Amino acid sequence: MGAPSHGASRIAWPGRAGHGFVAPYVVLLIAFGVVPTVYAIYFAFTDASERFAGLSNFTTAAADFRFLPAIGHVALYLLVWLVFLVVLVVGLALSLHGLTVRAADRALRFLYYLPGALAGAASAMVWLFMLDPAVSPVGFLLRALGYDTFGQVIAPGHLPILLAVIAFWTGAGGWIVVMYGALNNISPDVLEAARIDGAGPWQVAWRIQLPLLRKWIVYMVILSFAAGTQLFVEPQLLSQASNGVAGRDYSLNQLSYDFAFQNDNVGSAAAISVELLVVGLVVAGLFVARSGFFDAD
Amino acid sequence: MPTDPRRPGRAVRRRPPNPLRALVLAVFLLFFVVPVLWLLLAATKTDEQLVHGDPLSAGSWSALRHNWDALTSYQDDAIFQWLGNSALYSFVALAITLCVTIPAGYALAMTEFRGRRTLLVATLVVMLMPNATLVVPLFLEVDAVHLVGSMWSIILPYSFYPFGVYLTYIYFSTAMPRELLAAAKLDGCSEFGAFRRIALPLAAPVVALVGFFSFVANWTNYFLPYVLLPESGQFPVQVGLGTLLNNVPQFNPTVGSLEVQRPELALATLLAITPVLVVFLFSQRFLVAGMLAGATKG
Amino acid sequence: MTRKARADGARRSGRSRRRAVLLALGSAFTLTVVACGGGGAAGGQGGLKKAPQTDGPLTVWVDSTRLAAAQLYQRQHPAVKMNIVTYDGDANGSNYLQTKVSLFNRIRRGWPDVVFSSQNNEVSWAVQAGFAAPLNKGLIPRSVLDGFARGANDPCMANGTLYCLRNDLSQTVLWYNAGLMRKWGYRVPATWEEYRALGEKVAAGHPGYLVGSAGDNFTPEIYMWASKCGANQITGPKAVTIDTTSANCTRMASLLDTLIKNHTMSTSSVFSSDFDKNQAGRILMLPGPSWFGGSLFQGTFKTPAGQIAVAPTPQWSGDPAPSAGNVGGGTWLLSAHSAHLKAGTDFLTWVTTANDYQGKVAPGYPAYTAAAKAWLANQTSSRYYAGDIAGPLQTEAGRVWPGWGYGQFSQEAIWAATVTPGVTAGKTIVSLLPAWRNAIANYARSDGYKVGQ
Repeated sequence: MGAPSHGASRIAWPGRAGHGFVAPYVVLLIAFGVVPTVYAIYFAFTDASERFAGLSNFTTAAADFRFLPAIGHVALYLLVWLVFLVVLVVGLALSLHGLTVRAADRALRFLYYLPGALAGAASAMVWLFMLDPAVSPVGFLLRALGYDTFGQVIAPGHLPILLAVIAFWTGAGGWIVVMYGALNNISPDVLEAARIDGAGPWQVAWRIQLPLLRKWIVYMVILSFAAGTQLFVEPQLLSQASNGVAGRDYSLNQLSYDFAFQNDNVGSAAAISVELLVVGLVVAGLFVARSGFFDAD
Repeated sequence: MPTDPRRPGRAVRRRPPNPLRALVLAVFLLFFVVPVLWLLLAATKTDEQLVHGDPLSAGSWSALRHNWDALTSYQDDAIFQWLGNSALYSFVALAITLCVTIPAGYALAMTEFRGRRTLLVATLVVMLMPNATLVVPLFLEVDAVHLVGSMWSIILPYSFYPFGVYLTYIYFSTAMPRELLAAAKLDGCSEFGAFRRIALPLAAPVVALVGFFSFVANWTNYFLPYVLLPESGQFPVQVGLGTLLNNVPQFNPTVGSLEVQRPELALATLLAITPVLVVFLFSQRFLVAGMLAGATKG
Repeated sequence: MTRKARADGARRSGRSRRRAVLLALGSAFTLTVVACGGGGAAGGQGGLKKAPQTDGPLTVWVDSTRLAAAQLYQRQHPAVKMNIVTYDGDANGSNYLQTKVSLFNRIRRGWPDVVFSSQNNEVSWAVQAGFAAPLNKGLIPRSVLDGFARGANDPCMANGTLYCLRNDLSQTVLWYNAGLMRKWGYRVPATWEEYRALGEKVAAGHPGYLVGSAGDNFTPEIYMWASKCGANQITGPKAVTIDTTSANCTRMASLLDTLIKNHTMSTSSVFSSDFDKNQAGRILMLPGPSWFGGSLFQGTFKTPAGQIAVAPTPQWSGDPAPSAGNVGGGTWLLSAHSAHLKAGTDFLTWVTTANDYQGKVAPGYPAYTAAAKAWLANQTSSRYYAGDIAGPLQTEAGRVWPGWGYGQFSQEAIWAATVTPGVTAGKTIVSLLPAWRNAIANYARSDGYKVGQ
């Protein structure tokens, strides 16, 4: 960190123009980011009549029978999802970037992105049909794995994989675009120099492209980790497609919604949110500190 | 066609295509595309064909026509009203987002000012906050300024796009040559002048990136309008899709006879995602164009 | 060296961070005061503290099926100013209404005047939230309320006060294919014992054909409720007694297990593509609610006319008190905050009792007896069904077992998440009954219920 040591690399104009640039954003940040967040934290520590409630909202949430299973679900899901995401997104972006036919990589990026437009309710129907061996285009694959009915496909043990697949299907295309853009930022001279020195494509990727993508990858991991702990859309979608057989009450964030909108217990809902926030911040803090994310290069 | 300036030597030293790479890309192509293809075909079928026919067979024009008529007759063209609402919210918010986000990200990356780090941290914190509990505070805020039921109750929260601030911040801090700014300063450019004359022209890719992602986030947002808007006539298309879904007997068996068939839902979904794809294609042209910033840096 | 610089920087930025947080905190608390000035839910049990009555438009929330009702009312009563809003009708437990009401309660305004919900357990929270207006304390006359089918308004009762009106009944009956029964020379079973025996006969003689489905969320309501299984005895506003292992439960569970094992009882949801594709054409019998006829056979399966017939729900032999189950049936609520109580009450009465809507337009079996007569006449004249449907439907309308309550937690969702995956994995329902009880108790407790054995 340390503004003094890096201040030199940022341009210091006299006056306060920096503030002018950020002022409109700060207004929005306070109105729609900071205030609601602080408000939610305030909820987490107060009861229904807005008296200070200590940690009682937290204990109520933790005592709920769905709390511990949800932590287990989310942890397992995170493991599958983050590995999927980091390895495959970076790998696919590098593969696309290395394509020699320009039209092909442009078309592929578009096609990979396609599912990104299908957010939330829009894809419930898609997954209902994809996962039902009776009507799925990949029914042969599901049957080969030994699953003959929708119910067998969405068995509880399969959920971490299924949810990660759904999340990857919708989310990966966007990140591939971001990574691809970042790869474009790497000077071709650097790559060319490496090639002349005899580096193969693997070495170029490992030694040059990956280190230069560091900030982007860190950013993706921080956000994806937080998004993963806040798992909500995918199980909700599966629950909608299966009429509640799978995916209901699966994640912590779903539990938080249930507290807020089913039990009218905004305090405990906020308590779970605060816990998720803290976890996200700790991980973000680790990555930020390790990678010099806030510093200019 | 001019050759790609960023890939010198490509034409000279063309390597044979790597079969492993081609295979991986093809497998993932199927993974991403087959469900979308299925959806596309679903809109051309009858509900019966959807269940009994081959999953990847095409239906007929007449079935498509029928689905279209059934969809548009749902609550008197409600689908177009939803699409119109979505367009209004998303584009107005997009304009505000770009005006606010790009300068902020630029200043965070390129200039030094008090509170810079606080701003970065605060932005990260609110980005990581789960939004389940943010809805209640947002509703109370919107009510406090008497905007409940106004389109601004949706547009203003949409306009706040911290993700974009970070995209811009990382872009400028990794790709913008500082020497250019230093030179501009020496030439007597004001800070704002430097931003407008030097940074903005180089920012096309990140403007496209932020614009695109913010548009998609706004267009696909479900929960905020679902909870905040009081009138069904104000709903955007995502909430509309949810309504349609709830009128499909297979998803909601309690629905009566005025049902929506699944192919109609597929068609509505396709209509709902088309704008996103158009904006993607449009922004992709800028996304990879003009990223010459890196060249001077290396 | 870097470490020192880091620490230094952290301290510096720490100060400004603190200031920013303090600032934000300050503005948040100001907002709290502005926004939450009202605080506390109004309304209560028994009588109604009327809001000042005004002349503005009557705001009505309906799902898209019930939109026809509101529009018809507007056409017939052009003088009434109406603001019709469509929403999802709380379908699939979306909790939309509850979510919005809890937000409106915070700002003390914005409530709709009249609401339709496709759920029949809204009263379980709406009374506590001060939203539902008591209807039998001077708003709707006794004579109208007496016209509803026996027990129809049970879901609307809390502490002896009526808080909603039932839209439609969903009493369970036995749907069957009259043509097949005749062709194979089977008699329609009157008891569950006969039903089981017929299932075993079908398994041997006509493998592939079905006598029912236990793959839906409705399974507990179709079978367990009809069998008087005490899994859902709501004994007070926030108290429930759960007994899933009594003889009443196990006899039905083992019946289902037997038929699942010989494949005459499907474990796929009747609304799944799998069922539609592979099993819908092989239904001999299907116990289910009154709305299966129009919605499932006529709508989804497109079974040709003249095949489907209705019989009363089978009973356990020797049971002196016949019983049926129930799957759904929507409700209408009037807001306690309404400034148009008169107009709201008029609409509410019309929409639940008028023949023009309930008798002629409504898709479900009307809860109001006179309207149900007109509805049945209408159905009969459509000539879709084989034989008389009016008799069995009317009989079962009055037989819904009252021992199954209407709690805030969803028995359908609990069964779906607890029992269905077990059955899919090959476990018997009998073996899952204790787990089912635990799950009900857990959900009930987290909704604030006291759980008794």
